[in-house]
Amino acid sequence: MKHLLNLIDGDKDIGRGNKFWAGFFLVLICFFLYPTFVSSFRASNTAFYLLNIPMGFGLCLIWGYCGILSFGHVAYYGLAGYAYGIIAGNLLGNSWGPILGVLGGLVVCTIISGIFGYFVFYSRIQKWIIPILTLVFTLLLETFFVQTSGYQWRVGRVLLGGFNGMTNIPFFQIGTFEFEGYSFYYYCLVIVLVLFFGLRILVNSKFGQIVIGIREDELRTEMLGYDIRFLQCVTFIISANLAGISGLLYVQWGNYITPSQMGILQAALPVIWCAVGGRNSFIAVIFATIVLNWLSFTLSSQGNQYALVIIGTLLVITMVFFPRGIVVMIFEKMQKIR
Amino acid sequence: MDIGPLIISLIYQLFANAAFLFLAALGLIIILGMMNIINLAHGEFMMMGAYVATITYHAGVPFVISVILSFIVVAIIGGIFELLIIRRFYGEELGALVVTWGISLVLGQGTLLLFGPFMPSIKIPGGSYKFGVFSYSEYWLILIGVCILLIVLLWWVYSFTNYGLQAKATMQNSDMAKCLGVSTKKIYTITFSIGAGLAGLGGALLSPTMTIAPFMGQQFVAPAFITVVVGGATNVIYGAVGSSLILSAVKTNIGMAFGAFFGTVALLLTALIVIRIMPNGISATFQRYIDKKSLSTK
Repeated sequence: MKHLLNLIDGDKDIGRGNKFWAGFFLVLICFFLYPTFVSSFRASNTAFYLLNIPMGFGLCLIWGYCGILSFGHVAYYGLAGYAYGIIAGNLLGNSWGPILGVLGGLVVCTIISGIFGYFVFYSRIQKWIIPILTLVFTLLLETFFVQTSGYQWRVGRVLLGGFNGMTNIPFFQIGTFEFEGYSFYYYCLVIVLVLFFGLRILVNSKFGQIVIGIREDELRTEMLGYDIRFLQCVTFIISANLAGISGLLYVQWGNYITPSQMGILQAALPVIWCAVGGRNSFIAVIFATIVLNWLSFTLSSQGNQYALVIIGTLLVITMVFFPRGIVVMIFEKMQKIR
Repeated sequence: MDIGPLIISLIYQLFANAAFLFLAALGLIIILGMMNIINLAHGEFMMMGAYVATITYHAGVPFVISVILSFIVVAIIGGIFELLIIRRFYGEELGALVVTWGISLVLGQGTLLLFGPFMPSIKIPGGSYKFGVFSYSEYWLILIGVCILLIVLLWWVYSFTNYGLQAKATMQNSDMAKCLGVSTKKIYTITFSIGAGLAGLGGALLSPTMTIAPFMGQQFVAPAFITVVVGGATNVIYGAVGSSLILSAVKTNIGMAFGAFFGTVALLLTALIVIRIMPNGISATFQRYIDKKSLSTK
């Protein structure tokens, strides 16, 4: 137990020590109390910001900690969503359907990312090719799902739906209890918390140290006797599954998924969250994901067409002036002042 | 059915597809090969080229001149981006990737806001003529010719002009080039604006064959980047020509047999297989072969 606490409080992420954790739990209590002050609709909207965080975590892990940039994590988001829709939709009425759907989604993510990772990491291609291949992969998936309209594209009794996407995806349920509204908000919050602590443990553990070693110097890590191809592949699969969790939560939240969730504009978003927040820190990614999702949601719900321009400009400004991320650099400044 | 026209039709499609990939990837591969910058705003540069061509064409400028204009305009825009933003990211490949993505978002949405969602299209210049049962578009034949012209022009620029030699020196060893009095910063700016200009040129040349919209750049992303990945960055011309021919051979046959979508899937699979065999792309393998040959004859 002591060991685990030490790992959670490790030095591979910003935010250590009693003061930080006191603040952290204070904010957490606010998050837990938040639904008591707002309507179920607002809580559900806020849950949308939360459900994107696991994908941000996934990119943070693979980009910030392992040094491999993936532009195509939305592919796993979409695949998991579609897999859940197919499985849970076919088992409609069966209370085990959604749970099997979640498992199925994660299995699909693991298999596809494993195959992709095998080709990419075991051929030791140059680093700049990986983002391009992942991007092309997600664009291909989008094209594939767009052309699946019509009655011949169905699995069991679920239509894939082409450009309009898959609809009527069931809520997540355990036994007879369905997660929607307030309960969905708490469900997302708990998942994010569990993943946050889990990932802090992961990156501060021995595995995490080696992964960071790969980022710092591939050749040296390999000379120390680690199979970097395998480790990179495993990290890639973990982060793909994190993106998959976001996709699962998304379809459970909105009950539909469209191919544009795997499109080029969506693919940009997790990269932006990580870059703006700071790619070396899970806490910064949480912060940036919530703020940026809130920003783009507010802008676009007001019919403001400048949302993409503003977010793109923000990304350029961050990369030029705050290369390690705005949240991380502010945090480091604050520590220096103290 | 007579086999002759079928073969000619296949060859025509092969070269037309190769011309498309070549035009889509040329600007990208030059920037990557010479400067090690992956320009994700490439599709948007092509889109701007198409917009410049469309606007000038409908203002009454002949198509040939509007294509040249689009090269110049996009080259200038690219040069400005290099001076303001890109030059801070030399040596940081992933940083450059992300920042050019930001640029592409701004350019795409900005164009939508400025010009609206639709543009009048350009009529395809030239007619078509029949050979056997198949008919061929003259414009695509012209595009194939333009590609060959561009290859010769690039080869001349990078083999005989002062700029080309300095650029090659900078690419091989920028510190040494600096010591010998080459202004590498200037070379990088020129190279980036040439790459951007060629993207604009490609966009302008392909604009009559497609609908012109603010996010049209996205459809070039997959083919252009696959071409670059397969070609590699060791030698710009070998890479671009070799990989666009190979990929077009794959795409033409698979696409004919199974439909356009599987043609694109086959492109990705080919890319995965090629990089599994030749991690640095075709151009590196080919270059090595040539180097070996020239050593053994000496």
